[in-house]
Amino acid sequence: MKTKQIITAYAVTIILFLCCPAFLNRYWVDVLNNVGLYAILGLSLNVILGYAGLFNMGHAAFYAIGAYTAAILNTKFGVPVLLLIPVAGVFAAVFAAVVARPIIHLRGDYLLIVTIGMVEILRIALINDLFGITGGSNGIYGIGRPEIFGFKIKKPHEFFYLIWLFVAITVFFFNRLENSRFGRALNFLREDEVAAEGSGINTAWYKLLAFILGAFWAGMTGVLYATKMNFISPESFNFWESVVIFMIVILGGSGSIMGVILGAFLVVGLPEVFRDFANARMLFFGAAMIVMMIFRNEGLIPPKPKKFVLDA
Amino acid sequence: MKRIFILALALCLISTGSVFAAGKTVRIGLMGPMTGPWASEGQEMKQVLDLLAEDINKAGGINGMQVEVIAEDDAGDPRTAALASQRLSTRDVVAVVGTYGSSVTEATQTIYDESEIIQVANGSTAVRLSEKGLNFFFRTCPRDDEQGRVAAQTIKKLAYKNVAILHDNTTYAKGLANEAKALLVKEKDIKIVFFDALTPGERDYNTLLTKLKGSKPDVVFFTGYYPEAGLLLRQKRELGFTAPFIGGDATNHPDLVKIAGVEAAKDFYFLSAPLPKDLPSAEATSFVKGFEAKYGNSPNSIYAVLAGDGFRVVVEAIKNAKSVKSNDIAKYLHTKLTDFPGLTGTISFNEKGDRVGDVYRVYRVDAAGNFILQP
Repeated sequence: MKTKQIITAYAVTIILFLCCPAFLNRYWVDVLNNVGLYAILGLSLNVILGYAGLFNMGHAAFYAIGAYTAAILNTKFGVPVLLLIPVAGVFAAVFAAVVARPIIHLRGDYLLIVTIGMVEILRIALINDLFGITGGSNGIYGIGRPEIFGFKIKKPHEFFYLIWLFVAITVFFFNRLENSRFGRALNFLREDEVAAEGSGINTAWYKLLAFILGAFWAGMTGVLYATKMNFISPESFNFWESVVIFMIVILGGSGSIMGVILGAFLVVGLPEVFRDFANARMLFFGAAMIVMMIFRNEGLIPPKPKKFVLDA
Repeated sequence: MKRIFILALALCLISTGSVFAAGKTVRIGLMGPMTGPWASEGQEMKQVLDLLAEDINKAGGINGMQVEVIAEDDAGDPRTAALASQRLSTRDVVAVVGTYGSSVTEATQTIYDESEIIQVANGSTAVRLSEKGLNFFFRTCPRDDEQGRVAAQTIKKLAYKNVAILHDNTTYAKGLANEAKALLVKEKDIKIVFFDALTPGERDYNTLLTKLKGSKPDVVFFTGYYPEAGLLLRQKRELGFTAPFIGGDATNHPDLVKIAGVEAAKDFYFLSAPLPKDLPSAEATSFVKGFEAKYGNSPNSIYAVLAGDGFRVVVEAIKNAKSVKSNDIAKYLHTKLTDFPGLTGTISFNEKGDRVGDVYRVYRVDAAGNFILQP
């Protein structure tokens, strides 16, 4: 009975949400697009930070690899953007595998510092026009728009459906992941690494897989960003961007899908809501963050403890 | 209950932003970095525009219509800027002045163009911006290639042989350094002995300066911003490194002398559009006077003054085209506006929307730390 009500509540919210663009102007729809992008990024980091408990502060690096892969392949070789989504994901995943393998055994704060180094190195490499293909500090301009059966997605209203469709796919997959053997293994090694290893979980391998999966997803999001902005430059992928994604996961409740989505709404949406305070808007934003962290220090919606019902 | 309250609060905040003021007003947007690393630029851009709008409104407005400046924060970041421009495009503005960084402007160009809003950039010097054939894009700052040309010319005129070029890897500084390098390489008797970047924001550049000194340049052309330029000047003096420095227009800021100290800043050359105080026109002098009276200091940043010029050309175009339609304003700016007396010299635009004519002047810092226009 109760689950039925919850399902109807979800369905009504989703339908209302999908009708949003009809009532909102370009600006607010675009804010929602940004929220969507960061929700996907947050969910992809959630695999690494939330499920596996690995402090990765360099998530913007994977996002950047995806965006740049798409930008270069699209502008130089004219590959359609939508086809590039998985390709860019693979590039980011390979990058993550190569970079994360030697650092995977580091714990907590040490890993955090190494990943900060990684995102900075990548940003500086992009500025220095690596291999002469990244456009240096000017970035890359003229990235194509996605096209579905001859229909070109251009306006914020149209991007809204593309981005939120991707959010829905992400939520579906990660929800399945949470309840899989893989997801449970990650949770186990987050809670107690020694016990996990003792139970036969190859911790290094699972941690690496978490990194690869998170990077794959972030890389795909990079493509959406690149095609939406139709221009990318290294400053879009700086250290601050990693902090924002990190904040979304921690604030919303690490390990909880609904929490991360709510986190994206707050971290990306609030500064826009506070726009009328002009110069003081970041002050309000910071104060709001502090208050939330004091009162909900596990995140706004922490993951529920898992229940396993035994058949009588 | 708490949740409902928060939701209600959020809705209130959203709705206050979209209330439209009725009546005969012309809305001109300002998109600038009000927060973030370039906040001081954005704040001053707003001060300049507020002052100019106030003056116009006191004098009866544009053809009887009052002007309203609507400022939006782009935080110096492309993603935020895209949102800021979406927001401005829904707020019924005729034109938008701004913004400062080139990559930030680039992220907003298509949005303004699709919404048919005039954009007059004030600090975006990257060449590519005006090569896209956008009808509604203008800029009051000259392009990097123009400044590179003037820099190369100045170095040639001062008869330096071994040139060191130093940039800081930002879009603007690197662009300018590349433009200047490309021109100087062509000269037979000029040799580039050093070409590298520093990391902005550091406190100690002694290692770099020692390396620079080892390359024995006759002159160092630094294309970065004033905080680093000030430190470089101070530390090079302490090192006993005597080669003169030339800076790009991002070094044109009174704080340069404060950071470097008067002795170290002496004989530093820089290129810049003329400062309002050096212009004989009545507009420039009255602007400086008005600014000092209102804010207690003369304008610090040349880019803020260039934003003021952007505002003034839009006002002029609305006045003379007798229209607030983007097409009419753009047509007026492209074809009819010639030698408009701006705060930074005369202004005309070519068909790409770039400012034409010789804008750059060479300045020298004198023994008292004043910026002296060189003939």
